[in-house]
Amino acid sequence: MSGGRGHQRMAWRGRLLVAAVFAILLWAVVYPNLTVIAESFRADGTITLRHYVQVFSTPSELRALWSSIWISAATVLLSALIGVPLALLFARFEFPGRRVLGALAAMPVLLPPLVGVIAILFLYGESGVATRLLQSFLGLQSPPWRLQGASAILAVHAYSMYVYFYLFALAGLARLDPAMFEAAASLGAGNARTLTRVVLPMLTPSLAGAALLTFMTSMASFSAPYVLGGGFRVMTTQIFNSKLQGEVAMAMVETVMLATVSLLVLWPLARWEGSREYVAPSKGTSAMRVPVRSLWARVAVPLAAGVGVLVLVLPHLTLLLVSFVRDGTWTTQTLPPAYTLENYRELFAETHTFRPIFNSLLMAAVATLAALALALAAGQLIVRWRVRGRRLLEGLLALPWALPGTVVAIALATTFSAHQPWAARWVLVGTPWILILAYTLRTLPLTGRAALAGYRQLDPSLEEAAASLGAGPWRTLRRVTIPRLLPAIAAGASLAFVTGLGEFVASIVLYTHRTRPISIEILSQLRDFDLGAAAAYGVLLMVLVAAAFILGQRWVQSGSA
Amino acid sequence: MRAFLELESLTRVFAGTPAVRELSLQVGEHEIVTLLGPSGCGKTTTLRMIAGFERPDSGRVVVDGRDVTGMPPQKRGFGMVFQHYALFPHLSVAENVAFGLETAGLGKAEIESRVGRALDLVRLPGTQGRSVSSLSGGQQQRIALARALAPAPKVLLLDEPLSKLDAALREQTRRELRSLVKEIGMTTVYVTHDQEEAFDLADRIAVLRQGLLDQVGPAEQLYRRPATQFVATFLGRAGAVAGTVEGVPEDGVVMCRLGADICWPALAPASAPLTKGAAVRLLARPEALAFAPSDQEAVLNGQVTERRFAGSFYVYRVSAGGGELEVQSDSSDAKPGDRVGVVPRAAPAGLFAFARSAGEGDGA
Repeated sequence: MSGGRGHQRMAWRGRLLVAAVFAILLWAVVYPNLTVIAESFRADGTITLRHYVQVFSTPSELRALWSSIWISAATVLLSALIGVPLALLFARFEFPGRRVLGALAAMPVLLPPLVGVIAILFLYGESGVATRLLQSFLGLQSPPWRLQGASAILAVHAYSMYVYFYLFALAGLARLDPAMFEAAASLGAGNARTLTRVVLPMLTPSLAGAALLTFMTSMASFSAPYVLGGGFRVMTTQIFNSKLQGEVAMAMVETVMLATVSLLVLWPLARWEGSREYVAPSKGTSAMRVPVRSLWARVAVPLAAGVGVLVLVLPHLTLLLVSFVRDGTWTTQTLPPAYTLENYRELFAETHTFRPIFNSLLMAAVATLAALALALAAGQLIVRWRVRGRRLLEGLLALPWALPGTVVAIALATTFSAHQPWAARWVLVGTPWILILAYTLRTLPLTGRAALAGYRQLDPSLEEAAASLGAGPWRTLRRVTIPRLLPAIAAGASLAFVTGLGEFVASIVLYTHRTRPISIEILSQLRDFDLGAAAAYGVLLMVLVAAAFILGQRWVQSGSA
Repeated sequence: MRAFLELESLTRVFAGTPAVRELSLQVGEHEIVTLLGPSGCGKTTTLRMIAGFERPDSGRVVVDGRDVTGMPPQKRGFGMVFQHYALFPHLSVAENVAFGLETAGLGKAEIESRVGRALDLVRLPGTQGRSVSSLSGGQQQRIALARALAPAPKVLLLDEPLSKLDAALREQTRRELRSLVKEIGMTTVYVTHDQEEAFDLADRIAVLRQGLLDQVGPAEQLYRRPATQFVATFLGRAGAVAGTVEGVPEDGVVMCRLGADICWPALAPASAPLTKGAAVRLLARPEALAFAPSDQEAVLNGQVTERRFAGSFYVYRVSAGGGELEVQSDSSDAKPGDRVGVVPRAAPAGLFAFARSAGEGDGA
């Protein structure tokens, strides 16, 4: 009988909110992209395909597109090869240290990509710790490898994106009925046969989801190709360079191409997300994890897990190490010879070194609040009021997620560099507002997803109970809806804040010296060969991210009690 | 009794399907009326229209002479107890009960004392600081009631408030609920699908079927003089056999011919008069029938198909007259397979004749 629940005759204030949410989302999410598309067809005031012809007839452009695609495909493969076995290890076996190691293995999902890139640079780069160790061990004249080009990008991608496969496979395994394993065993199947005939086929939906997500993330990846690519160009770096060299029309066409490819990938992903298959029908009778028994396995399993996780977190440990290096002392030695806290002291000592920290914190906070407010308003409209066009609204919330950061940045830079109030365009380029807008857009899918999930779990009769006790809409929102949404808000806000803090891809297109965030400062310290300072900023970012995340988790738990 | 809450031909249509059709009902001051019916009959939709959560497509809700049809729920001042209680899990017991008092803008001391009184009323004193999740199902139910009653609402609405409790607790709680609501003299509308619950609680019962109000009245009236076949079978047990009308109904009693020389008097519904020769279905309460020697006058012969022990008596299922009857008896002598004769004990009491439409079969 709940079929008719929802709004009937909406007050004018409700209509105003609906109109405002639609207007803001269309203005922020759709409008800039339309501007880019329009610009890509425009030359000297006429509509033309000239730019497209030019792009498609330039070999280097096609090479960049092809590079993006094959790098992404290879990234999917490599990430799966790391992530899936790791997930099976942690999901199937009980051994000492499992929980800690399992949590550590999921860590890279939180780390800003740029921090990952420089961490790997410090470990495996030409003058990285591991490279030097190997060089001195083998007595080589020159480093055994150079961390540059396609293979370097692939290595970094695999290092940071295996997490998607790891987490998706873990989630998929958790949904499996443990009795499946017992059924397979009772039918005489050994471990290998159970894996290939039962587990992997049932994990297919999860793995397909991870593959698509990895592919999209890789297509959008900018940090690794930018820092390590050298002459090797992918679409994101190609767009950035076109913009830098003032070839605006080319940048527009490349942006449209990249966005198109990404959206083509999102489509099957969105469809897949709708169908949750292989949910465990029975609950908690059989144990999912088996304790390891044989002596051989008792040593091998924790060892494999420990070594595997160590290799995965080693770059970040290296970053920590380098952050303590005294400036100018580490030249040819394998390991840095002198350590100091000076790098950290300097971060906070002077206005110009503290500025990026302040900028990042402030802009991420404002963007998080904006994305949260929008997401909550949209959640109310979509789930509670079930307004017409709610599917469109949901799409608008999710769309920036499918668009690479470079696309978002170029679209904003193009749209908000003109003062045309009649067309809802203002000059935001050069102000902090354009960065805040970019962060808001990039975090909107995170807060949107959390808000929708929260609203959907919220029992509508709680709000009705409040109304029956005389509480008006505002009081109900304040006393019942928001408190009940707190876990979802906390989860969404902490993810959004973390994303904003480390944002690099859009920032590099939109920043000015005054508005530079931490990620940009890391890059410029790296350029000045001030490795210690770059590492210290990186570690600070890691700490802030971890703090925001842990705080969010606390809040989630306290709210759901 | 003065009508305090009036529903005037309420209609609510969901996606082309009417959930409630032209429903009119009056609830007197201090009266407890139960909306009873199977799931999907429109009883919860009706309650939600009274509360203001659903707006009727047509019709009016009038309280104390005032039309509240377009009024939002928070302005109506009705207390409501939800099926799953809808206690605010993030608030303590006291904060839950105080919620409606705070919206009324009462002072702190006043709120505190009224929360205390409400908790005393539901016999849970001293639970102010507890979290609602630490309470048992029965306690949660009482807190939900305390919360609804604390602001002294004009009308109390309850939506299957006992359905989450186990059987034993349910029976005890509904007696307490009735005496409590009667004690404070609250005008109450209570939704349930449980006939026994309705019998125990209500001053009057409104039986709904497919969005239509079949009959309203005290439980006894509904049981003894059901207006429709549905009411007859939904409230209490009734077997059925086919017959034809013999003679003209007189004083609401009609003679029904069940066989060559078998005629039983039965109560006829006032709303749809039966004519001579009309095909009827004769419904009989188990306690209105008795076994008799098969050569006695007006005996309907049949065969026992089932014997059920029901504590102080037995209920026999007897296949007879092209239908199936149930007979209540103190004796355990008959057993399945036996041929038996059945007669009314005190006709026409407990026997109801309803017109049988052309397409209907003879059976029950």
